[in-house]
Amino acid sequence: MLAALQARFGEAIEAAEQVGRELRLRVVPTSLVAVCRFCKAKGFSYPADITAVDTGRELRVVHRLVSLKANQQIVISVAVRRSGGSLPSLCGVYAGAEWPEREIYDLFGVRFEGHPDLRRILLTDDWQGHPLLKQST
Amino acid sequence: MTQSLLPTEHVVLNMGPQHPGIQGPLRLQLTLEGEVIVGCQPIIGYLHRGIEKIGEGLTYPQFIPYTDRLDWLSSASSNLAFVQAVEKLMGLEVPERARHLRVMLLELNRIASHLAFVANFANSLGATSAARYALRELIEDLFEMWTGARVTQSWIRIGGVAADLPEGFQECARQVCYLILQRLDEYERLLGGNRIFRARTEGIGILPPEVGVDHGCSGPTLRGSGVPFDVRRAEPYEVYDRLDFEIVTERSCDCLGRHQVRMEEMRQSLRIIEQCLDQMPEGEARASVPRTLRPPEGEAYGRVESPRGELGCYVVSDGGAQPVRVRIRAPSCYNLAALPRMVRGWKIGDVVAILGSIDIALGEVDR
Repeated sequence: MLAALQARFGEAIEAAEQVGRELRLRVVPTSLVAVCRFCKAKGFSYPADITAVDTGRELRVVHRLVSLKANQQIVISVAVRRSGGSLPSLCGVYAGAEWPEREIYDLFGVRFEGHPDLRRILLTDDWQGHPLLKQST
Repeated sequence: MTQSLLPTEHVVLNMGPQHPGIQGPLRLQLTLEGEVIVGCQPIIGYLHRGIEKIGEGLTYPQFIPYTDRLDWLSSASSNLAFVQAVEKLMGLEVPERARHLRVMLLELNRIASHLAFVANFANSLGATSAARYALRELIEDLFEMWTGARVTQSWIRIGGVAADLPEGFQECARQVCYLILQRLDEYERLLGGNRIFRARTEGIGILPPEVGVDHGCSGPTLRGSGVPFDVRRAEPYEVYDRLDFEIVTERSCDCLGRHQVRMEEMRQSLRIIEQCLDQMPEGEARASVPRTLRPPEGEAYGRVESPRGELGCYVVSDGGAQPVRVRIRAPSCYNLAALPRMVRGWKIGDVVAILGSIDIALGEVDR
């Protein structure tokens, strides 16, 4: 799978590492949707999880795609700017991306371009700030 | 003639956040055309406690009791998802006996959760007697005997379980399992054979398998649509790879199918518990673990099959005593996101049936 991805996307795959059943990738934001579409066509049709991690040094969005047939996982990390950062939405690829992306917007403030309904989901609509960012506490 | 002169418009109806057919605070904003649902928007967050954020301020063992409050119908699963991620980070070996004890506790939790499902589901369809029949209390007696708590057990710890079985537990467990197995047939006759129950569930709330997968649905919700995905088989943890049990699926994709998957799963869980009781080796119930845990820098994903589906816990460590990030991948959250698709075209009265059939826990939806 990694060879196929590298042949197709080349430089867009910044880093790759196989850990057990997980293939961990770092992908440039502009290629995210194309990479996910490619993975889905290769059987990674189950979006196990989409979330974000703020380590204090960087903010990244993490997509965990699973192939139920091959029993493999692809974990795609994409770096994003901490304040006012945005990424292309995966709602057009996976129906299950809608709520997790709303949650990332709610808690981390990342905007998803092309999301059909980008509103807060867990916090109230008039909430100020994004509590899971490190500098917010 | 008069009908064509009357203007028709959609009506918006709010169901919840407090509603007798919903187990927890959840609001459904329904758009209706007469009695038929043309739109549904679940509104969540009423129970949001910021558990993921709280986790960043606690040491690893301190976070375990918080996981109990995610899915309180099956607290052991949430305990394990987090503990498994930490153990993966640390490369910790869990003693063989502790693995068997964990599986036993998990499967008892699964039966307890599914029994609560049967009671709630039937109750929301008008069969109020089901709650009086359900035997969850008996399993909670077992939990109390072993862990001291009936619901929020916090019994799975990093390196094993908090303590071994008390004296006489195994006999009690066997008795309870025997009793439940007998009663499952009775429940099946009471509900599965009831015409009203079937009319309310059969062919209602269809979830096509490819739609379920695309939404990230899992557990009995997805298996009720014929997809044989179960984390216990896909990525076996503890001793599941050495136990004999079946992954139950139904092809009907409807409310009845999801109900039947859970009924049969309870029988499989009873088989697993029996095997654990028979095969459990002597030994330690917990590995020795340093008092202050500092997992090496890195990330790990704990993955457990909870009664509701794939329960994941993604933990990121920077080498310190507190996690940088604790993410809970709640199966209820993904299953609930597919609800609008499942209720569209059905009548208001079917909403409680369809919502009941995906058996969500609002604690883990809102976190």
